[in-house]
Amino acid sequence: MILQLLANGLVTGCIYALVALGFGLIYNTTRIFHIAHGIVYTIAAYLLYTFVRGLGLSLVWSLLLAIILATILGIVTEVFIYYPFYRKKTSLSVVMIGSLGIYIFLVNLVAMLYGNETKILSPGAGKTFNFGSVILTKIQLAEILAFLVFFSIMVLLFKKTKLGKIIRALADNPNLVTVLGINIRWVRIYIFALGSFLAAVASCLVAMDVGMDPNVGMEVFLVSAVAVIVGGVGVFEGAVLGSFILAILQNLMVWKIPAKWQSALVFLILVFFLLFKPMGILGKRRRLEEA
Amino acid sequence: MNYVLHLLIMICIYSILSLSLNLLVGYTGLLSLCHAAFYGIGAYVSALLMTKLGLNFFLALPVSVIISMLLSLLVAYPSLRFKGDYFILTALSFQIIIFSVLHNCAGFTGGPYGIPGIPKPHLFGFEFNSLPLFLLLSVILASLVFFVIYRISSSPFGRVLKAIREDELATLALGKKVAGFKIQAFMISGGIAAIAGGLYAGYITYIDPTSFTLDESIFILAIILVGGSGNIKGPIVGTVFMIILPEILKFLGIPDTIAPNVRQMIYGALLVLMMFIRQQGIAGEYKFE
Repeated sequence: MILQLLANGLVTGCIYALVALGFGLIYNTTRIFHIAHGIVYTIAAYLLYTFVRGLGLSLVWSLLLAIILATILGIVTEVFIYYPFYRKKTSLSVVMIGSLGIYIFLVNLVAMLYGNETKILSPGAGKTFNFGSVILTKIQLAEILAFLVFFSIMVLLFKKTKLGKIIRALADNPNLVTVLGINIRWVRIYIFALGSFLAAVASCLVAMDVGMDPNVGMEVFLVSAVAVIVGGVGVFEGAVLGSFILAILQNLMVWKIPAKWQSALVFLILVFFLLFKPMGILGKRRRLEEA
Repeated sequence: MNYVLHLLIMICIYSILSLSLNLLVGYTGLLSLCHAAFYGIGAYVSALLMTKLGLNFFLALPVSVIISMLLSLLVAYPSLRFKGDYFILTALSFQIIIFSVLHNCAGFTGGPYGIPGIPKPHLFGFEFNSLPLFLLLSVILASLVFFVIYRISSSPFGRVLKAIREDELATLALGKKVAGFKIQAFMISGGIAAIAGGLYAGYITYIDPTSFTLDESIFILAIILVGGSGNIKGPIVGTVFMIILPEILKFLGIPDTIAPNVRQMIYGALLVLMMFIRQQGIAGEYKFE
């Protein structure tokens, strides 16, 4: 029983980690509290649904199209909303409210077009695999695989490429990067593309597993934002660590307390961290005014 | 006619909410996303006191205000240390935890089914049971709140809050206890929001947790972002605008099934637009630095 809960926690952790990695990438570099990240997640799932159910495309093509279109949505928010704000040097609270506005607008568009009820993509659990006493479905294994692949790619990107170096530099000190003559505009577009791509991948996998409703994006976004804080702001791997901690605690909790307290648990953990370790587990000690 | 009276009562309730949130957002510069939690605490505490203990509305309301003020300390203390995103997250946590409690403690709060059969307010055998009478009560309470906030905003206390908003360190350097002022702002704001909650419970006579969600907090915040914050007229303009707007949509012949979504889409678009062209809102003065 406890092993199965732990395994479920790991699988959920992979999903949170993909979304949080994307959010962390955006938050650490641009400091934008990108609430619209949640809507990128929701829309990716609904695009997949439209392509598979509405247009009858094959799963592979639908996945590709859904992920590409959701990534473009992320880029569009950067180019048409965030970048103009950045040019005007607007305060980050204002940008966050703008992001919230985008989220509210699009989530209601989705609800209007598709309705509020849960939509399911594939009936039944599909093929299952047994590992001792732990049972995992095919999609759950795909989720783990997707996390391992994309996490490795991201680590390589951060450590080995010039773009990765610039991104890490941005997280450290955004002003110095512009001094070096690097064109921030394109770096930001890459960052939003990568972040949205990761969220879209996670979203499509979950959509195939348990389906979707218009509010999934906000739920996952909130957990991933908490994961970034818990793991450590400014450290990209922190988001992954935070995600696994939250997911495993959420799943183990089910053993003792009813599952309906899960979201309260996540935010209790957040408050605990904010009070006692505001820079997160891996975060460097910094004065809050600097951050 | 009843429809107009209902709208006016809702405008009173939301005026109380937005005026009290303005104290945090517009005066102290704290972008709080947990106002629906205080609204819910006010509604639930007064509803429970009236149904379980049979207390009079006019006794239950002050008690709920006091309880809401005490609970506001739970957000006020942790948030003293943070500004910006971290503050928003702290407030968000409070909102979600309070909602979980209302929704999940079924034995106490009725869980998802809520509390039915809340009695209408009555005073010395005189019952506020018709819409015009209830409107009278709402207008009296809203005016009272308006007066209190007006006095606060023109008092030295209000000016210190504005100073905190503009420059916290400078205010501290002038010898003002910033922490104490923030806590007081929180308590007043939370307490006043509870008045709106009690009024709502007495008006609808049935409450459930879905009226006090994160979306509701976002809506109350949207009222003062659109209307404007940092002065007394901004929240009132925002409330009237945001409550009347959906009713205009009804006359445009948008079907009822999609009307709530269209309304919310307009709010979302307005938020983005306002942040681009007029950060202080329609009639506000504070521009979110």
